[in-house]
Amino acid sequence: MPRRTIQRRELLVAGTAATLLLARPHSAITQMTATPAPFGDYRALVCVFLFGGNDSFNMLVPRSAPEYGVYAAARQNLAVPQADLLPVAPLVTDGVEYGLHPAMTGVRDLFDAGRAAFVVNVGPLLEPTTKDAIRARLANLPPQLFSHNDQQDQWHSLRGDAQTRSGWAGRIADLMRANVTNQQLTTNVSLNGNTLFLAGDESVAYAMGASGPLKFTGFGSGSFGREHRAAFESVLAADHTSLYAEAFADVQQRALENADRVTDALASTPPLGTAFPTSGLGQQLGTVARMIAARERLGMQRQIFFVATGGFDSHDDQTENQPRLLANVSAALTAFHTATVELGVASAVTTFTQSDFGRTLTSNGDGTDHAWGGIQIVIGDAVLGRRLYGRYPSLAIGGPDDYGSGRMIPTLSADQYAATLARWFGVPDADLDRVAPNLAKFSARDLGFMAAA
Amino acid sequence: MPVGRLLWLGAAGLAAAVLTGCGGSGDDPAPPPQTPPPPPALTAEQTAAFHFLNQATFGATVAAADEVVKQGYEGWIDAQMALPASLELPHLQALPASQSMSERQRDRIDIWFRNAVTGPDQLRQRIAFALSQIFVVSQVGALEQAPYALASFYDLLATQAFGNFRELLEDVTLHPAMGVYLSMLGNQRPDPARNIRPDENYARELMQLFTIGLVELELDGTPKLDASGRPIPTYDQEVIEGFAHVYTGWTYAGAPSFRQARRTVENQVQPMQLYPDFHATSPKLLLRGVTLPAGRSGTRDLTDALDNVFEHPNVAPFVAQRLIQRLTASNPSPAYVERVARRFENDGTGVRGNLAAVVKAILLDEEARSTTATDRGGKLKEPLLRMTQLWRAYGGRAASGSFAMSNPASMFGQGPLQSPSVFNFYSPTYAPPGELRDAGLVAPELEIANEYQNTVLTNAFATQALSRNSRSPGVRADDVVIDIGEEIAIAPDTAGLVVTVDRKLLASEMSPTLRDELTRLIDRLPATDDDFARTRRAAQAVYFVAASPEFAVQR
Repeated sequence: MPRRTIQRRELLVAGTAATLLLARPHSAITQMTATPAPFGDYRALVCVFLFGGNDSFNMLVPRSAPEYGVYAAARQNLAVPQADLLPVAPLVTDGVEYGLHPAMTGVRDLFDAGRAAFVVNVGPLLEPTTKDAIRARLANLPPQLFSHNDQQDQWHSLRGDAQTRSGWAGRIADLMRANVTNQQLTTNVSLNGNTLFLAGDESVAYAMGASGPLKFTGFGSGSFGREHRAAFESVLAADHTSLYAEAFADVQQRALENADRVTDALASTPPLGTAFPTSGLGQQLGTVARMIAARERLGMQRQIFFVATGGFDSHDDQTENQPRLLANVSAALTAFHTATVELGVASAVTTFTQSDFGRTLTSNGDGTDHAWGGIQIVIGDAVLGRRLYGRYPSLAIGGPDDYGSGRMIPTLSADQYAATLARWFGVPDADLDRVAPNLAKFSARDLGFMAAA
Repeated sequence: MPVGRLLWLGAAGLAAAVLTGCGGSGDDPAPPPQTPPPPPALTAEQTAAFHFLNQATFGATVAAADEVVKQGYEGWIDAQMALPASLELPHLQALPASQSMSERQRDRIDIWFRNAVTGPDQLRQRIAFALSQIFVVSQVGALEQAPYALASFYDLLATQAFGNFRELLEDVTLHPAMGVYLSMLGNQRPDPARNIRPDENYARELMQLFTIGLVELELDGTPKLDASGRPIPTYDQEVIEGFAHVYTGWTYAGAPSFRQARRTVENQVQPMQLYPDFHATSPKLLLRGVTLPAGRSGTRDLTDALDNVFEHPNVAPFVAQRLIQRLTASNPSPAYVERVARRFENDGTGVRGNLAAVVKAILLDEEARSTTATDRGGKLKEPLLRMTQLWRAYGGRAASGSFAMSNPASMFGQGPLQSPSVFNFYSPTYAPPGELRDAGLVAPELEIANEYQNTVLTNAFATQALSRNSRSPGVRADDVVIDIGEEIAIAPDTAGLVVTVDRKLLASEMSPTLRDELTRLIDRLPATDDDFARTRRAAQAVYFVAASPEFAVQR
């Protein structure tokens, strides 16, 4: 059998029991230390990516004096008025009172109910760093800071300077393949197209539409329809000269198989009572909720979903646009949490945000530019909520946390953030460094925002 | 595709099969259906020209291949370059003024398809489309209500497609569509008292995405490495800030003042204007250690800064690689990139940045013209190009002449000037998991060829071939219909039908597997001499080939 055929089969059946038998002998999967026993429970991670770089230091804001004054001085015409901020009351206080952007009432309610937490000033890092080290050019920094696609890649892959080939969710799926052998669908599913985040070294993600999978409509019905489909599949399975044709055929084959399976599973699942917003993000999260509702029909034990929404690159008109963006996120996240409660899986599903970077605290007139550290939201009943994790930085321009022009130097790394989620998801401690390659450089392997696995 | 129509086809087909199977006992057998002789397969010369046209146009046709054979590749290119640009803006401006901006965006999509599918200046349109994926502006975002600006920007790319890159760079920089999209429009000098500093958006993306990229390149497009084997960044944050200061002081032309500039139908198609009081006067650090002295005019700063970028050694390999990826190959050899980059540096008459010479070098290169199919040569076709090729091969037209659709991105995962961000529809370095990635190869177009999007397009081909062909009942005036008359005429002759579709869509190079499967499938359908049976065979054959992996790639 030609090598390509072996590989193709492996791609096609990724996530099923057959995969292990076909795994390439040289592959990293053979070195894994995860116990190859099926999980006894169900868990899901849902990544909500905010494309463009969310200005999150306008999302969670110090409300009390003197910190609000520092904030207002830095942000000038972009500052959220003090009186508009939604007060939040963390269980553990650092002496400062905080408020949430007024557009995020839903997230405020989740936070107050102990079902949401904020991870503060987190960003891509290769090692802990300081302003002094950066100034002295002694710091080992992630490549191409402040560039959209490079920093998205960092969040997705955590690869630092290394060549980017897989995402951290993809590596989790690789590690867990032995534990989820009864799954009829790949662990990783995107509602927003192909993404490095979900791509494994071995396993391949499945992409469906915002409102679910789509079947091929052109075969027709009856015996001709069946033969048409068989002929179509024979053509896909042929050895193509072109690697592009080969890769394209793989996608078509996965589309064909999964659409039927997933559509049937969704069709036999009762509809949800929870209403979702009509926004793109609301639609995607609504579909994720339906997929979770159908989990048992597909034999799913572990799932990582990727949903996304854009428009956060607010170089212009930030004060007009940010309220709408944050309201949209808040409403969709809140509806999704409600749906997980309805389904009785609120403790088994954890939703978390990622974004390219935070934004400059200083203004370019009516907007902001690309920066570094930011604040992320984690939601679910397994989250140790109503807390802020990490140190809220000094927002003083030129202050100790400022790289320049109000770019916050992260004090927590994206690796730590990912590892904390991965551990809860069931990745053994010894494998966390494969998920998060820079984790060993940081003293805390777990940021503590998730309940014990 | 209305499901009912498919079901009806299936049921009626079955009925026809039953009739042929058991009817006519005792009668004379019906005479065999009349079919014309099958067309000849394309000659090697025609086939090569066909591949060339898939690189240089919105889809090869046999007639165009004959033209190329007659004129020669270079002759055809020269003739194409001499044609005036088919434009978008005059079309929009000729429409009644009362329509809403979203209807006008629909008209913009319409004229884009008209030019792409039917425009005589095919090479120019294809290059404009390629340039629009490098100099990205998009309807998605702040330009949603500015269809005229987008049309005018696209016209600029079409007009300058064979001009000089330096001029193009300046025209793009000063176009209000770009000004709005990457926020140079309204960018102002620093105001330290209010913590305001120049917007870095355009400064960053012009270098990262339009001209030089993030790391220093050899002329062949491979990264230069430092002594410890690491790539060398082309710029740092200070240089971004230097350029950000350069791009200050510009907004819509003819405004009462810088701060009172508002978009109008007129000024969104005129180059931005400098308002000197809002230009930063400090010295500005540029690339390669150059600093612009303080106190100069915004126009002079802009000229010198764009010269500074244009003269950077990365521009030639960067632009060469990007354009090659859009036109001919996802993974060009370094030698191919270098040959094209050398033409960028010097067109043979000492001129740098001559895009006509660059386009010629890309299309006439031995690597693009090789007749040997390899596993990594060529590329996956973009979804839009798969559809336009089908339409061009089969004379796809609506009775009304319109190609209007409000949201092509929902069908294709891409649309003209509808990228989700300045990073285009796909990354030039996207590598799908599997053999391509393992071999260190990239396939940008595969980034949007995910399971869902592929299904949408495959279903669109089904609708097009099965229920919007020249015999389909119930098509509307605005439905694009393909003419499959030749296929219908020859339909009862399965082998002849396969040859006919093969030459129109696959340059007579259909693989044995595809031929066998298609033949077997069509043979399952009744070959009776009636319009229904003929049309069904013809339509199914076109759909089966259009949906195949072979049609999805460009050699």
